[in-house]
Amino acid sequence: MIEFVRETYRYRELIWALAMKELKIRYKRSVLGFLWALLNPALLMLVLTLVFSKILRFNLPHYAIFLLSVLLPWTFFSQSLSYAVESIVSNGDLIKKVRVAKLVFPVAAVVSNLINLGLSLIPLALLVPIMRHPFYWTWVYLPVPLLALTLFTLGMTFFFATANVYYRDVSHILQIVLSAWFYLTPIIYSLDFIPTKYQWVFKLNPMIYVINGFRLAVYYGMLPKASSIAASFLCGFISLFIGFAIFRKYQDDFVFYV
Amino acid sequence: MSSSSIAIRLENITQRFRVIQERPDTLRELFSKFFRHESSYHDFDAVKNASFEVPKGQMLGLIGRNGSGKSTLLKIVAGVYRPTAGTVQVKGSLAPLIELGAGFHHELTGRENILLNGLLMGYSKHEMGEREQRIIEFAEIGDFIDSPVKQYSSGMYMRLAFSVATEIDPDILLLDEILGVGDAPFQQKCFERIRNFRKAGKTILFVSHSMAEVSEHCDRVIFIERGSIMADGHPDEAIEAYRNSCVPEAVAAH
Repeated sequence: MIEFVRETYRYRELIWALAMKELKIRYKRSVLGFLWALLNPALLMLVLTLVFSKILRFNLPHYAIFLLSVLLPWTFFSQSLSYAVESIVSNGDLIKKVRVAKLVFPVAAVVSNLINLGLSLIPLALLVPIMRHPFYWTWVYLPVPLLALTLFTLGMTFFFATANVYYRDVSHILQIVLSAWFYLTPIIYSLDFIPTKYQWVFKLNPMIYVINGFRLAVYYGMLPKASSIAASFLCGFISLFIGFAIFRKYQDDFVFYV
Repeated sequence: MSSSSIAIRLENITQRFRVIQERPDTLRELFSKFFRHESSYHDFDAVKNASFEVPKGQMLGLIGRNGSGKSTLLKIVAGVYRPTAGTVQVKGSLAPLIELGAGFHHELTGRENILLNGLLMGYSKHEMGEREQRIIEFAEIGDFIDSPVKQYSSGMYMRLAFSVATEIDPDILLLDEILGVGDAPFQQKCFERIRNFRKAGKTILFVSHSMAEVSEHCDRVIFIERGSIMADGHPDEAIEAYRNSCVPEAVAAH
């Protein structure tokens, strides 16, 4: 864990350059360029708001905000994983020709998606007053769940990026896992919708604690209980600890398999 | 020779590769292999028990046929491969890249690639900022420096790549068959720079198939065949040994 922090700090400039490269390339060929990082979530919000206020009506006021408050962090998580799972394999040519710390590739994938998440919070912050939803002071709490989510995401990316070096099926399996995980996590619904006797099953899902803080802060204007915060960081650290340990064990052999 | 004047020391280096006939790339293949109890690989030593030392300031040529293990040795020195057995010691800074332009991204401009390449090799943004102007001047590619490198001709690409690799000024320079591209004036410039490197007491490992270049520039030559060092010494002797070993193949071809 200490090694992870040290290495990340040591290669911070390279990680940042790689993350910026990724963003630059993602928006390169478009007329609006970087603006898409803002427009994408804004348009998604427009669609969701229309659908859920005019067509599908839930018993929740301002459902779009209810949904987006956790959908955006989830998108960060799933996009980071989808990018990072290929990050070692797709940089194989480089790894075979330059001695470079392998951790920079998955970390850069997470960082570039973190920037995207940050940008997508801007249209969300605009949507809140537009929908006449109260703008709670608890927004300032967001960096805390964001940190727990980032730790959790990093651990998962290290694991999947390593596994994908040895078995390329992993990137396909990951997509299935992510879509199942999406529906098993209270994102489009609330945990309260689940009958009490089944709730314990859902509570085994670490993602519940990790993203809980986002919805509470943005939609309900509340802070999570201390036990929930502790659980989210516990999940984050366990994920990073195991993921990085596996990555570190195999990283010197990546060059022979990419 | 005192150990302080040794730049690179390789001791009993073996690099074993698992050559997989049909690599089980997917789980399905893995399962089918597993149940049929087939071994689908054999081990292959790309470098066998090789030892040598390179004194500081020496220009060492590595010659041998394709697949003989020259590039593998270079990758071991660069730290790209961790050898299966043996120890590597490298004293001084080294540009840990064995192919010029590795790490260039074709969508980024020349200027952006200079920074990215430097960072990949372990230099800081600040260090690369200081070198940027000199790199651009040496490469002589004009306004193209702010165009994406995918628009470069292969000659321009090599100019920039050589310029980055040498201008960062490492103590040890690894050059793998790099000077084939580029026009005559630029090649002249490259060799001029190599001579300056040598004057500055830097160590160079030079892989080439041009015996003329090797005998002109190197102090010492190692000839490798199937992963083993066959000759190590004066350039003329090693080149002679290499030429002799090639004869049977040339005869067989007729």
